Amino acid sequence: MKLGVFVSEYGTTNDTLERLKADFLGIVLVQNGVYNAVVSENGQTSPVLGKGTKVYALSEDLLVRGFDPSKVDKRVTVVDYGGVVDLIFNNFEKLIWL
Amino acid sequence: MAIKKIAFVVDKLPYKGESSRLALTHCIASQTVEIHLEEDENVEPVLAFVGNGVLNCLRNQNAEAYGVSTMESHIKNALLTDIKVLICEEDVKRLGIAEENLIMDAEDFGADMTSQIVPFSEIMAEIESSVHLMYF
Repeated sequence: MKLGVFVSEYGTTNDTLERLKADFLGIVLVQNGVYNAVVSENGQTSPVLGKGTKVYALSEDLLVRGFDPSKVDKRVTVVDYGGVVDLIFNNFEKLIWL
Repeated sequence: MAIKKIAFVVDKLPYKGESSRLALTHCIASQTVEIHLEEDENVEPVLAFVGNGVLNCLRNQNAEAYGVSTMESHIKNALLTDIKVLICEEDVKRLGIAEENLIMDAEDFGADMTSQIVPFSEIMAEIESSVHLMYF
């Protein structure tokens, strides 16, 4: 199963995300979820980035919050709205929103 | 003169919810309430950002994609109306935010007032000395 997970909250832990398993797991950071792509707490990056999965962040949501999309964590791929639509149709079979 | 201090404390992230925006609009509105008060009364609002709420204070916000005004413009309007703006030092450090990335002034709005990065204890003192606490 190719599973896409939309994360729209900023938080240091996410139990559901920890337990998800899929052949391909992609995390799409949107809304306040984009803080996970740029903010380090006490020097530690978000655990969302440490799952070893592909992580995407929506550029429009980064810009709204005052972040430069070119300065996100290296593990994150920045996509625009069109890019998210492409991901939904081409990369994932199922989607969930956390 | 009887001054009623109101502390507006923001600990929520911007944009996904209206909470922090309401804090700003209520805080700025409280500045205008003095026209309804008696001669010997006045209101002194204090606006403080704590916890993840300090992320409201990042510079270079661009909310064009949402079609709304930025929190940056609201905070600058607060400074323009001479509201004391405090940002929690411990949370700024915890989140690794450099001071140059924070809204420390609103010179482009013509404001003289500047934001202050202060320890949480100072924000706590403002809360204690306020008559009313509004927590957003």
